[in-house]
Amino acid sequence: MKTETLDRLRSRIVKIDAMPAIPVILRPLLHCLDQPAEQVNMNRIVELVSYDKSIAAQCMRMANSALFMRNTPAETVRSAVMSLGMWRVRDLLFSSSLSQVIPANRWVVEPAVFWRHSLGVALVSRKFAEMIDYPDPEKAYLAGLLHDIGVLVNCMVAPEEFRATIEKASRELIPLDEAEQVTLGFTHSDSGRILAEAWKIPSDIADAIELHHQIGDPERGGPLVALVHLSDLLCRMRDLGYGYYEPRQVDFANEPGWLYLLMKFPGMAEIDLARFTFSLDEYAREVSDLVATVFAS
Amino acid sequence: MPNESTVLKEEAAATENLGDPAWIRIRDLIYQVSGIYQAENKFYLLVGRANRRMKVVGARTPREYLDFLTARPNRESEMRNLLNEITIGETCLFRSLPQIDALRRVVIPSIAEAKKKMAFTKLRLWSAGCSTGEESYTLAMILLEEMQSSLKGWTFEIVATDLNDRSVAKAQEGVYNDYAVRNVPAEFMKKYFTKVGSDYRVADSVRTHITFSRLNMLDDSKMLFMRGLDVIFCCNVLIYFDGKSKTRTIQHFFNALMPNGYFFLGHSESLHGISEKFRLVHFPGATAYWKPIETISKAVTP
Repeated sequence: MKTETLDRLRSRIVKIDAMPAIPVILRPLLHCLDQPAEQVNMNRIVELVSYDKSIAAQCMRMANSALFMRNTPAETVRSAVMSLGMWRVRDLLFSSSLSQVIPANRWVVEPAVFWRHSLGVALVSRKFAEMIDYPDPEKAYLAGLLHDIGVLVNCMVAPEEFRATIEKASRELIPLDEAEQVTLGFTHSDSGRILAEAWKIPSDIADAIELHHQIGDPERGGPLVALVHLSDLLCRMRDLGYGYYEPRQVDFANEPGWLYLLMKFPGMAEIDLARFTFSLDEYAREVSDLVATVFAS
Repeated sequence: MPNESTVLKEEAAATENLGDPAWIRIRDLIYQVSGIYQAENKFYLLVGRANRRMKVVGARTPREYLDFLTARPNRESEMRNLLNEITIGETCLFRSLPQIDALRRVVIPSIAEAKKKMAFTKLRLWSAGCSTGEESYTLAMILLEEMQSSLKGWTFEIVATDLNDRSVAKAQEGVYNDYAVRNVPAEFMKKYFTKVGSDYRVADSVRTHITFSRLNMLDDSKMLFMRGLDVIFCCNVLIYFDGKSKTRTIQHFFNALMPNGYFFLGHSESLHGISEKFRLVHFPGATAYWKPIETISKAVTP
């Protein structure tokens, strides 16, 4: 998108004062997780969880769900966090704090579908990153989780037009960004970029948010953008998409993002893509459990 | 044919040792040998079916059974037995909806558009390893529907082959029980089936489009005659072939297809490492192999 249009969009968003506020725990959480896994401070995570009653309750509920089959029920936030494990708690914190970003009655898309897709892309991005030896799989996870955050902005900024956009996309079975371009004149990638800047999200993740649908020049965004772009496509081809059938065929090995990553990470040539695709069905279960926990209340 | 209650019993039995890491190794071994992938969320199916084989051979744990598959003298035939268990009962009409959707909503429109430009108005499909005909009739019904809507004025033919004479005979009968038609949409049931006793018989309007015959896919001289096909389905058949025969058969399939033709395997079956000529393509919930329009494959240098 041209800078000029972005500026116009930015001023429009600011003017109507509709920019979603950053959730209180999000910034400390981002900070806390922006370091090597072994240095992440578990006490700090417990503290963040305890800070928000509804998130704490979600952790307890999930830890005590059948999925974890504990012998004795978790009674403290700490024991719940311990039995869930740091990464699952992180997923819960993110998705539930982000889902509080906009009031329940302002959602234009189905929240469960939105989170299913976002968490799916997060998991697939991380797995993909690990497979090609991308140096920071957790960053890939975050970029995947946040890649569609512009959808939240659209819900706030232009609810009626965005509702029409979603209807158009699912009626004509076209990609969301294509429909947005027609009905809104901007896409969730554009509005996501603006939100990312307002929230001071690390710049490479902001790039992934902005460019995940426009991979024309992969050099511009670098590997993280290509990773998120491909993971987004994979999820849409594996039942972790927008909730409607996209009648299309994707030839991953000839996607510009794939060819670009192949150049940067030659080990990628060894990937058995069919097998990777089949294994994605394993995430669907994990994602559904998480989404069910977040939206149980 | 397993019914719902045996499936439930299998599930219950399976949960007992579901967490055993040896299953992952068995899964990987199956994939390596056959190209069939068992996702972990469906492990109860693998485990339930492997448990039956474990009882037969007398293996007490998955680890022990792994031995039967890798180290014992009869390991190859045991692997074949296991594959048989895994794929048993998989045939029913309308088995894989994502594949049907991909065919109907993406593949056929794409092929038809290209063919129309050359003034062709006929589609040819091959159900290779058709077993008792469920897949062949499903394809025929899907295409009949298209001929009545998006492809008015078109015709189609389905070639259905199997190695087993008895399967071919059963396929020609076209009579199925409740369990085999459980996935058939109601409007298709009404339109294309008549009730015969407790079974269902496929209508003649569907049958006339299919030619059933016996064919050994390892017989090169016969395979050479298969030409001019737009779509081939070959589900859970190649898994029994050794590497060499598999490569050769895939080459035959490639030659049999028109450029821009599609090759479908079972829904979680892969060709990885077998053919460089086909391109793996993704549809929502399904994958297939595509024969590129230009036959000179793009050289990709690392």
